[in-house]
Parts: sequence; structure tokens; C-alpha cells
Amino acid sequence: MSHSSELVVEPIPISLVSDRYLVYDIDVVTHLRRTHHICGVLLGGIPQAPQQNVFQGLPLELLPEEAKLLVEKEAAYIVDDIAWHEDFYTTLRGAERQKYLGSLRAQGLKAKQTANANARQRTEKALSRQAVLRASKSSASSREPSGDDPSVVVPAESSDAFNQGEPDALDNTVSESLFDRDGPVSPALSETSVRPSSKASDSVEPLAITPSTSYSPSSLPENPTQQADPLVPSSYALFAHLHARKYFMMPGLRFGCDYNVYPGDPLRFHSHFLATSYEWNEPIAMLDLVGGGRLGTGVKKGFLIGGQDLDSNSEGDGVQTFVLEWAGM
Amino acid sequence: MAPSAIISQHAPLSAAQESINISKSALKESPHPDYLHHLATSILHNLQYQHSWTSLTIHTHSSMDSAPLPRPMISGLPPRRAYIHPDEQAAIIKAEHDRGEMIEQKPEREWVLPSHIKEKWTLNGFASVFRTISVVPPGDSGSNEEDEEDVEESPVGDQWQGENRQKRLLLATLDGDSTVTYYIMHGGIVKPRQN
Repeated sequence: MSHSSELVVEPIPISLVSDRYLVYDIDVVTHLRRTHHICGVLLGGIPQAPQQNVFQGLPLELLPEEAKLLVEKEAAYIVDDIAWHEDFYTTLRGAERQKYLGSLRAQGLKAKQTANANARQRTEKALSRQAVLRASKSSASSREPSGDDPSVVVPAESSDAFNQGEPDALDNTVSESLFDRDGPVSPALSETSVRPSSKASDSVEPLAITPSTSYSPSSLPENPTQQADPLVPSSYALFAHLHARKYFMMPGLRFGCDYNVYPGDPLRFHSHFLATSYEWNEPIAMLDLVGGGRLGTGVKKGFLIGGQDLDSNSEGDGVQTFVLEWAGM
Repeated sequence: MAPSAIISQHAPLSAAQESINISKSALKESPHPDYLHHLATSILHNLQYQHSWTSLTIHTHSSMDSAPLPRPMISGLPPRRAYIHPDEQAAIIKAEHDRGEMIEQKPEREWVLPSHIKEKWTLNGFASVFRTISVVPPGDSGSNEEDEEDVEESPVGDQWQGENRQKRLLLATLDGDSTVTYYIMHGGIVKPRQN
């Protein structure tokens, strides 16, 4: 794990796709979390099981606050993904293009080889199991006639055929052997990659793969001249204030606040505060304070309100915070 | 004037009305409007009779520079400690375990900021309140003089008590039916208690 941070070179490109700030590289995700205590939210579904969204994967979506903070620290920069994509592919010619296609083909080939190896392994396993089953069957059926009417000799083969009709007899082996030839190939890829099963076992035709990123991070602009400044909500000052004090922030929807504030990595700690930002002279309804304070205390957290005094002439960011807890009376 | 005059003819005054009447003389020279005084009086009444607070005082001016407070505030002594910092709690438990005896927790004098449920506050408002109050309210701290000699050099939890504590107040919110809720408000980031 320690090496992954070294693989990441700052500034990190953050893809801007339809107003969302996305990160596609797992090394970058762990780097951001460890070095900058930026968590983001994983939002990629698992292709085979989109409903199992308890386990989300890449990409990671960053809050606009997180993106802006990273940009201000010069740890990252924003790449307008659509513009860059069009620019990249319309100018991709000659050797560059061949190299790109070659890399796709190499990845597909590797995937296919892995799939083939897996398939072969499964076939062998299924065949050996079938052989064991058949051996025990034939020994059983050869003993059977001696006990029964000796005039009726049931041939071993017909007994096999009879047994195959039974739902539980060879179900496992049969269902596995149905799939063992082509490995895990999705139907969408069938035109290019699934061929008649007789030839498939020794096929090295590359799979048509869909890369999770459409270009390698190294091909991104290294030093973007035009810096997109992420548009952030007014709670950014509070976010930056808490972040500077080594807190981790997560979206606050579940507790009806702006941020859940964790004293360390959210995988290790419960959150300490429900933070809601107000502008310096924005009216705050007392009922909101009572409600937030009561909810926070109910879940063993403090209700933190804070905001930036823009006229503050003291040094620092001018952010002041207050924490509310139910007094128990 | 008329309604209260009528009431006084027919029935004895309620305790709340009495305390409002008593405070009337103080209103004349006060920098704050009457309704804020009445609000403070209502909260004080609740603290005194529902929550058994003692040594209650209404403050109109800052003890630090004698400037008027943003509104009249109350200070008083709760029957037991109103707030124990989670780290202090841990230190107390540890010390109690080591010594094998309970450590008595003396209540500390607290600030109370009266507010009404229909009000709107701002961060600016809260900040100005915190700017004008001292960490520990002036007045009777409840400690008896004869106890002073056997006070330890640095009692357990000392760094979270008295002048060492983070500035805090109790935000008292009054509803129309005279229900009052109390929330502890810390100036700055203070981690939550392990309730």
C-alpha cells in the first residue's frame, strides 16, 4: 500500500464531467484519502450487479468543495473531460493512434488469456468430477442386476441416460459444462469475441474490452494554463476551516446537515459533528438550533454551526464555530 | 398596568409575575428593551424553580469592560455540574479507578443566554455574546472557604475547569407555553460527550 502514493504525481487531474468532479484512478483515490484526507464518494456500480450498490466502485466523485480545496493547494487541477476527449481523439493519428490501438489490443489479449485459462481449469475440474461420478455409477449398476431379475440386464449406458433425466443427478456438472468453454464473456461482446465453441478453446483472439478510462493519465495535459475554479456553495469557508484542522468531511445528507465531520478517516472513526454553515448575518431559526442540537446529541455527535466573518480583521480565515449539545435539562 | 392591577385585587401574584414586578425598578436605567428583561426573568424563574439553580444573577453589562451585553444574561450555579468534557470524564474515571474512590464533582457557575423560540439569531449575534462574556461568570462560585486548605495542587480535570475551560454558555430557549429547553453552546470546536 505504501507504494501507491509514490505512483501518484501531483498535481492530479480531476475530470469534470457534466458538473461532477470525478477521479478514475484507484491510486489517486487512496492518495487523496491518505495524504489530503479527502474522501469523496465512490459512485461506480458493479457492471454485473448494478443493484448491489452497497459496494460502489470507481469513479470517485469529489464534492465541489473538495475539488476547489485540492486546486487551491495546487495538488490537483481540473480537466474538462468532454473538451479534452474530443481534442485527444480528433488529433490522434499515425504512430500515436497505432500505439493506442496496440495497447487496447494487448489489454484485450491479456483478458482473453486469463479467461481461457480459467475456462480450461473449470473444464478439467468438471470432467474429473464427471469421471468419478461415472465410475461409481457403473460399479453400482453392474452390481444391481445380480440382485434383481437376472434376465433383465440394464446396460450401464442406458442407466446413465436415465440418471441424466433426474434433476439432481448431474445438475452441477451439466450446468458448469454449459459455460466452461467461453469463460465469462458478456453478451454484448459476443459478435467479436464469441466464436463457435469448437474453436474457442484455443482461441487467442483478444476480447473487446471497455477501458475504465479512455486514455492513460499520462496523456493528460501536464500543466493546464486555464485553471477552472470549481463553483462551490457558501459553506466552503467552513469546509476549509475544518479541513485545515485535520478533520475529514463527508456529505451530510443523512443527518440533515452540510457535512458530517470525522476526527480521522471515516473508516476508523465515528463522526464528531454535524456541521451546518451559515452566512455571518444570515438569520438562524431557533428551532433549527434546537432540532440540530437534539438530533446531534441523539446520535452522540455535536451540532456544529459556523461561518465566515467577511469583515473580520483578525488573522486567519475569519471563520467562527459554535458547537451545540443538549444540556440534559 | 391595568391588567396586573386587576389580577392583584382578585388573586395573589404568581411567582413569575412577582419576579417581573421586582425587576421593574431595574428596567428604568437599563440599556435593553423591557421584553428582553422579561425573557431573562422567565428563564431565571425556570432555572430557580424547575432546575434548582442557585446564586442566580441577571447581568446587563460585561464584567470585563462594563460595556452593555447584547442582552441581559443570567449566571448561576446548577445543582450538579452542567457539563463535563469527554477527556475530563476519561481522566476522572481513570483517577477514580486508581484511587479506588469516587471523586466529588463540584458544580461550576454557568452563563445562560435567554432566547425565545420565535427569534432569529445570527452567527454574528452569538459571536458578539461570546466576545463580551468572561470564561467563568463573576459571582458566588459555591465553594466554601473552609474547603480551601485541602484543595489539591492540581485536581483531576483541572485543565477543563474554571478559567481553563473553553468559553461556553447554556442557550435557553423559551416557548409560548413557558417550556424552556437548554443547550450547551461552546465557542469553538469541542468534541462531543460520550453520552
